[in-house]
Amino acid sequence: MNLLAAIDAAPAAIDLIDPKSMQLMLTFSALLFVIGLVGFLTRRNMIIMFLCTELMFQGAALAMIAFGRMHMDPSGQVFVIFILTVAAAEAALALGLVVLLYRKRDTLDADSWSELREC
Amino acid sequence: MILYSACIASAVGLYLLMRGTRAPIRAVGTIAALGGFAWLLTATLESIDGEVAPTLLPILFGVVAVMAAVRVITHRRPVFAALYFILVVIASAGLFLMLHAEFMAFALIIVYAGAILITYLFVLMLAQQSPTDDGDEGSAWYDRTPREPVLALLAGFILLAPLTEAMNDTRAQHFEKRAEAVTARAMEQPWIDLARMPRELLRVVRRVEPTATEVIGEPHLHGDVPMVMARLEDGTETEVSLPPDAAPTNTRVVGLALVANFPVSLELAGVILLMAMFGAVVLCRKQMELGEDEAQQAAGIGGGQSS
Repeated sequence: MNLLAAIDAAPAAIDLIDPKSMQLMLTFSALLFVIGLVGFLTRRNMIIMFLCTELMFQGAALAMIAFGRMHMDPSGQVFVIFILTVAAAEAALALGLVVLLYRKRDTLDADSWSELREC
Repeated sequence: MILYSACIASAVGLYLLMRGTRAPIRAVGTIAALGGFAWLLTATLESIDGEVAPTLLPILFGVVAVMAAVRVITHRRPVFAALYFILVVIASAGLFLMLHAEFMAFALIIVYAGAILITYLFVLMLAQQSPTDDGDEGSAWYDRTPREPVLALLAGFILLAPLTEAMNDTRAQHFEKRAEAVTARAMEQPWIDLARMPRELLRVVRRVEPTATEVIGEPHLHGDVPMVMARLEDGTETEVSLPPDAAPTNTRVVGLALVANFPVSLELAGVILLMAMFGAVVLCRKQMELGEDEAQQAAGIGGGQSS
């Protein structure tokens, strides 16, 4: 509790984020996004594929908060609120869909629906 | 060039982690991926000469987040992948705290770890196949076999390499150029925000000057001290210096930005959630088309006309 109060009460100018921390945050966000992308492409389990999109959301959210911090602008955090909204909506819909698909085919393998593609 | 080699090293490590079926191969993959990520981090950090070295905590949280993310995409059992994702969420909430986004940090934990991930776990339970004997640890074959790992890693790390490269090239110069302006803005921004919350401003002024009835004009910086004109009960006007802890907290600032700057987007977010709810209800209704009349009667709608 004391720690939080200290963080909150600290004047913003003194601990302005320095370029190195900024770089660090952006690198982490890029890594999270890329790992999510690779996971989405490689995993066959539909639920894990959607989990990987959430991973990509995390990367994007981290970058937005870092940039918002860099410019001292709360819009970055507002964007993250909307990312959370979309993620929640997407999770509800996608998981409902996954359960439907699972009941039809009795498998979570995304390849079992590959006849949906054109060729 | 160093960045590209670091990306290649972590890609090879990830490939071994995904493909390897035996423990030694996976260990080599883990070491390669760890080394690649560490290499990438030090390369990006060394390219910038900032005065302040980054402290331990952001690096710790970030490394935990990235390692847990790797486990999410390499773990063979979906439930564990979901649990590792909770670790990613908690670690990035720590990163948000480091970036002074306290409200978003706790909102992230509550919404992601508390709500979304629980939904994932429920669906995993609903759709989990019974463990078979042939698989290792009872996981299904499609959880054990990655699809096109080489191509996917190629795509991912071809994206990552220019991304980090571009950040290294320009970030430092831009930051140096902007640093002064941002520092100045950081000094006055809290008071500009406070001026947009008149009631809160009056409350703060009353804390210093209990007889103040009205605030005149906006707060302005007098050197380092924020000052504001206030009218007292006896009609005299006086200048009040605001205490430094009167600056609005992160939650107030985010709330103000959300409601004052993006009101339409806020409504649209509500519409999106409503539509998602409708969509989920429609998806589920299709399942019980047979028992629709009974369901309607049970819900108390349309019961009169069907009987």
